Amino acid sequence: MRINILVSIAPLKHVESDGVGDILLTINNVSKQFSHIEALKNVNLTLNRGDIVGLVGGNGAGKTTLLRLMCGLYHPTTGQVLFHRDSSQAPVAEMRRFLGVVPEATGLYYRLTAWENIRYHSRLHGISDEECWKNTLEIAKDLDFVESLGRPTRGFSKGMRQKAAIIRALAHKPEILLLDEPTGGLDVTSARMVRSLVKRMGQAGGTVIYSTHKLAEAEQVCDRIIIIHNGEVRADGSPSELLDITQTTSLEEAYVKLTMDAARETEKEDVEGRIAKFWRRMMTPRKLPEGGGEDE
Amino acid sequence: MSRTRQVRAIVSKELIDYVRDWRTLLAIVLVPLLLFPLLFVALPLLLQAEYVERQEFDLNVVIQTDDSVESLKPFLFDTEMELSWETIPVGIANLSDSALEDERIGSGQVHSVLRLQKNIDNGTIWYYAILYDSTDERASEAKRRLLVAVFAWEDEQVNTTLEMAGLDPEKTLDPVRWDGDSQVADVATTGQQAGFALSLFIPLIVATWTATAAMQPAIDMTAGERERGTLEALLCAPITRMELLVGKWIAVATIAAIGVLIQVVGLFLAISMIARGSSVLGMPSIGATALILMFSSILLFAVMIVAFQLALAVRSHSVKEAGTVLGPIILLIIIPALFAQLINLEGIEFWWFLIPVVNILIALRELLTDTVVVEHILLWAGSSLLYAFIAAWYASKQFNREDLVESIN
Repeated sequence: MRINILVSIAPLKHVESDGVGDILLTINNVSKQFSHIEALKNVNLTLNRGDIVGLVGGNGAGKTTLLRLMCGLYHPTTGQVLFHRDSSQAPVAEMRRFLGVVPEATGLYYRLTAWENIRYHSRLHGISDEECWKNTLEIAKDLDFVESLGRPTRGFSKGMRQKAAIIRALAHKPEILLLDEPTGGLDVTSARMVRSLVKRMGQAGGTVIYSTHKLAEAEQVCDRIIIIHNGEVRADGSPSELLDITQTTSLEEAYVKLTMDAARETEKEDVEGRIAKFWRRMMTPRKLPEGGGEDE
Repeated sequence: MSRTRQVRAIVSKELIDYVRDWRTLLAIVLVPLLLFPLLFVALPLLLQAEYVERQEFDLNVVIQTDDSVESLKPFLFDTEMELSWETIPVGIANLSDSALEDERIGSGQVHSVLRLQKNIDNGTIWYYAILYDSTDERASEAKRRLLVAVFAWEDEQVNTTLEMAGLDPEKTLDPVRWDGDSQVADVATTGQQAGFALSLFIPLIVATWTATAAMQPAIDMTAGERERGTLEALLCAPITRMELLVGKWIAVATIAAIGVLIQVVGLFLAISMIARGSSVLGMPSIGATALILMFSSILLFAVMIVAFQLALAVRSHSVKEAGTVLGPIILLIIIPALFAQLINLEGIEFWWFLIPVVNILIALRELLTDTVVVEHILLWAGSSLLYAFIAAWYASKQFNREDLVESIN
């Protein structure tokens, strides 16, 4: 079953329902270490077809690391991320053709038009230009984006960039869509559009992983919420299940209760080499103005 | 699913993306195409125009002498400068002592001063000095014209002396002479001569331009992608890092090759323009084997350089960082390239053909003179293949880095 749901606004066409609920992705005892920081610790998750899952956590909680592990961009330090298909399973890195990804930065080439961006990624997914155009047109109509397909993305607003990136991620009809902070920096209308889009995908049986640090947004969009804090999965369930587990009356209270310990230091130590780091420290004044204490 | 289709998609996207920037056209097409025609055709024209302009300068010179110089006067009049006559000032250490003339010459009131003094001990020798300001174009031109006059007068003095001694000046001063045309005596054809002359700078162009032309696209397609945050989405596509490297390598190599090709075309264009009116200069004559080997050597060189540049650029998090790293690399190519120009090809030691960069440049020099030595070819081709392989391996290692997905944004 593939995501094939954005075609007409009402009524949404459901794809065949068989397969919904089947296991699509398993994350078994996955840990990810970056130099001195353990970005993820013993994560165990199972994602089923048709799930709309919200990954919720603060900055540096490990959401993006988990998403990148799900895309096969990172290799787990320990454990496995497996993609299930046709009664078999394989490391997710080998199954990337079934994924659609919208990174936080959208990743559009500004000298290319929106259509050229979409076509490029579809070609990399082995989709013919004709099929890609057909799919693109369907989705673009739904997002009111047809007129913008031929325009270079250089002048696009954040909302338009997000739309173009979503079409690009869906044009090859993936089985699972991964969205990293899709409403970050968007105005109210554009953010609403993205949320409504994801909801409709869910109604149509699509599988979506939605990473956000906004709890209210996850509550609106997702039927399952995974709370991550300091690299650990603190809770996993439907909004009502989270309230039961934490014995609270609102998700906000539940989130606070689950993440009471202080957030860890998130700076990655391995971003720069040893010499560069030594030199930077040598050339950076450590003392802040009076009353500011000492840096580092 | 065809893997080559995906590599093709990467190549075509990279080329389209790169060519859309109008500055690219300027950098890889227009500049290399016009560089040599400008250098070889426009520069001599400019020099000629400047010479004519200098001829039209109004110049004032002072002749300082205590002796009669009647025989010099006609030569001085021919210089078409305004002449003033003075006696040699008292108190100077020698004729070159310019202390007393600093102000006049420095202010431009007088452009040069010619001092002449007959040797007192025997009256046959004249001493002279020209005082001038080497940083002033008019003073330099005045000095040049004075020298022309003095040398012509000296020739006349010599001839007169010889004739008075009953000698034939021509036979006395030029007793050993070349017979016929020295150009005809050279067994090398004009094509061979042109090939030899070109071998002194074509390898330098190929080396520097390959590295220079590849640098900017290599940075744009790697560190640029990281900086702009487009690499993450790309790496999520079902392509291997090796396919990504190959696609980007082909794109960068294509741009660099076009740049080098256009520059060489520009060079030959300039030569053909000059050769049209010259009996000395011709188009280089190079055999088909040497030509094929030349292109193969450039290809190997490009494989190595482009792979190395891509590897270094992809390690960088930003375009600025990549530029800082790759900038000095150009020097690492230019310096051995300069050395390679100075090495004697006659009886050259075999190990020169094993040194990276130098080996290809020496090979190019040899091939431009249409010299094909099998042992040398095996050495440079074998070692360069090895270096290209190492560079490609290093690049693939860099492209497999997990932190490639990290962006400074």
